[in-house]
Amino acid sequence: MKKIKRILIANRGEIAVRIMRTAQLMGIKCTAIRTAAEPNAMYLSLADNVHDEVDESSEITVFLDIEKLISIALETKCDALHPGYGFLAENAYFAERCRDNGIIFIGPSPDSIYKMGNKTVAKQIALKHKIPMAMGSPGSIADEDEALKHAERIGYPVIIKAASGGGGRGMRIVRQASEMEKMFTLASREAEKSFNDPSVFVEKYIENPKHIEFQILGDMHGNIIHLGERECSIQRKHQKLLEEAPSPALDEELRERMGSMAVRLAKAVGYYSAGTVEFLLDSDRNFYFMEMNTRIQVEHPVTEMITGIDLIEQQIRIAGGEELSLRQDDIRLEGWAIECRINAEDVQAGFAPAPGRIEKISFPVGPGIRVDTGVSAGSSIVASYDSMIAKLIVTGSDRRHAITNTKLALDAIWIKGTKTTLPFFRMLMRNHLFQSGTFTTAFIEKDLDKYYNTGEYEETIAAWLATKLFVEENLTEKKANISFDQGKELTPWLLRKRLTQF
Amino acid sequence: MKPDKPEIKKLYALSNDGQKFTFTLPLKNIIKVNKREYKIELREDEKYGVHVLWKNRRYPVEIVRTKQNRYEILFNDISHIFTVETPISMQRKKVLGSAHGRNQNLVVRAPMPGKIVDVLVRENAEVMRGEALVILEAMKMQNEIQAEANGTVTSIAVKPGQNVMKDDILAEITVK
Repeated sequence: MKKIKRILIANRGEIAVRIMRTAQLMGIKCTAIRTAAEPNAMYLSLADNVHDEVDESSEITVFLDIEKLISIALETKCDALHPGYGFLAENAYFAERCRDNGIIFIGPSPDSIYKMGNKTVAKQIALKHKIPMAMGSPGSIADEDEALKHAERIGYPVIIKAASGGGGRGMRIVRQASEMEKMFTLASREAEKSFNDPSVFVEKYIENPKHIEFQILGDMHGNIIHLGERECSIQRKHQKLLEEAPSPALDEELRERMGSMAVRLAKAVGYYSAGTVEFLLDSDRNFYFMEMNTRIQVEHPVTEMITGIDLIEQQIRIAGGEELSLRQDDIRLEGWAIECRINAEDVQAGFAPAPGRIEKISFPVGPGIRVDTGVSAGSSIVASYDSMIAKLIVTGSDRRHAITNTKLALDAIWIKGTKTTLPFFRMLMRNHLFQSGTFTTAFIEKDLDKYYNTGEYEETIAAWLATKLFVEENLTEKKANISFDQGKELTPWLLRKRLTQF
Repeated sequence: MKPDKPEIKKLYALSNDGQKFTFTLPLKNIIKVNKREYKIELREDEKYGVHVLWKNRRYPVEIVRTKQNRYEILFNDISHIFTVETPISMQRKKVLGSAHGRNQNLVVRAPMPGKIVDVLVRENAEVMRGEALVILEAMKMQNEIQAEANGTVTSIAVKPGQNVMKDDILAEITVK
């Protein structure tokens, strides 16, 4: 067993902040990396020391540069490294390079990352261990003719997926044979571009399922448990927007069955650290293994809120060789937690990214409200990284109360400077299908005709504001001296044109 | 009001979806809804920036852009687009509108900044409503930009690999 003393945070944004908070509570020092894209980012202010990596000539971000990260870790005397999520978090070679250099990789073994990261290998392992799965091609397929053969056998609709993929890229749904040629080419080309690997496979497409995932924790001594499920069906183009725990679709019996399958799969690869096993659940309560994520997830807080377990702490302890102090029987799910991903996106323009500078930002504070963020007033949401502003996590004694509390918290959030996904969540909390809990992954695309609601009189107020502006610009003599309450001048509200940066 | 100009007594704010809101000048800090009058206040302070006070609640407000008499206002995180007209300009607009007739060309614009990954149609191609024209990648996401009506593609303005800004023209379609 090795006591970790200093961690290199190989990530940015809210997850860098999240990891440092726990590590520092455990008495561990943290080194963060300053980049040219965000030299004043909030996460840097929390670090015990900051390594400058502001060389703008570099082609790729440092968070994707394996050798550079290793040399920074060695140079700054970090004995461990946390990859966060995204970037290199699920890169087996990176985990191996860390190990070769005597740096503890806070995550699973390179072998587990490889086996679960390669979808084809993962499927073979799952098949061997009798984990329920949607039928598909046994491995990667060569061309559209082979894809057609498999599709005939499985039955339409089928989905083409990138063998090394994730996050919705390289995925295409094929509903009839005539679409196969076009879709196969698109998926393969996209897979090559995104993952440097054009290989794709085909599997049965399960229409309108729920996306249910299980949180796994395992140590290096062969103990593996699950911490219940997360419901992640509210997603758009395979990008999750809202997650909750537990899921309204599961009862104890189904949770037990799915959880034990998740544990069985993790055991099959000798898994340790935190991990997530994703399933699709159909309306007849059949579930199918989809993939395993070998990292901490964006949505991990909802599990933490209902189990009271700090997953980052567990990851660090496990990486140091400690044995899990928790047994399956110790895990109790209490209450309900909902996470809203507040992103800099324009809901009215189909969730288009809306990068910009955050001018004002404030969140409600109170029991049952947790905000994980990496930005503060003055921060910029830059186009080179993801569009996340904050994760709002709200709890309640049951689902109904959690929804009510979320509704109140959403109304109290104040963000100025960029458009956000707030209008979407405000609408969602008032939507009957969402409230019923029976929604599926098709909810946003099929069941919603509008992504936001305009409140009562809001349009009238906006019309008044436009008219007021017109009056000030065209019909008033001394524009600069218009005074408002307390003699305030109007100038800041005038013409604050949004700069769309790219 | 300047005495040498004809006095304007009313202004109309026309929304994008065709709603008309009428305001009497001088503009008062009062909005009438369902025969009741409510006070509206525009304020600014250090903590919240510019905001509106309405029925004891604070709402964020911002001007997204202005172009002549066209305003995009972000109110409570939702944007609204209005054209403000005087009674005279309103009259002129009506006359012009009827003379021009219907526009037969549909301009397809980029809904967001990003990179063109793929162009899926050629010039002179017949397209159906909902058919994908180009794939635009922005912030990790691939987005299909679709034809909004049946028609013929008269021009394509982008190539794969090209970066585009929001509202850049991608293609033009002559509507059937």
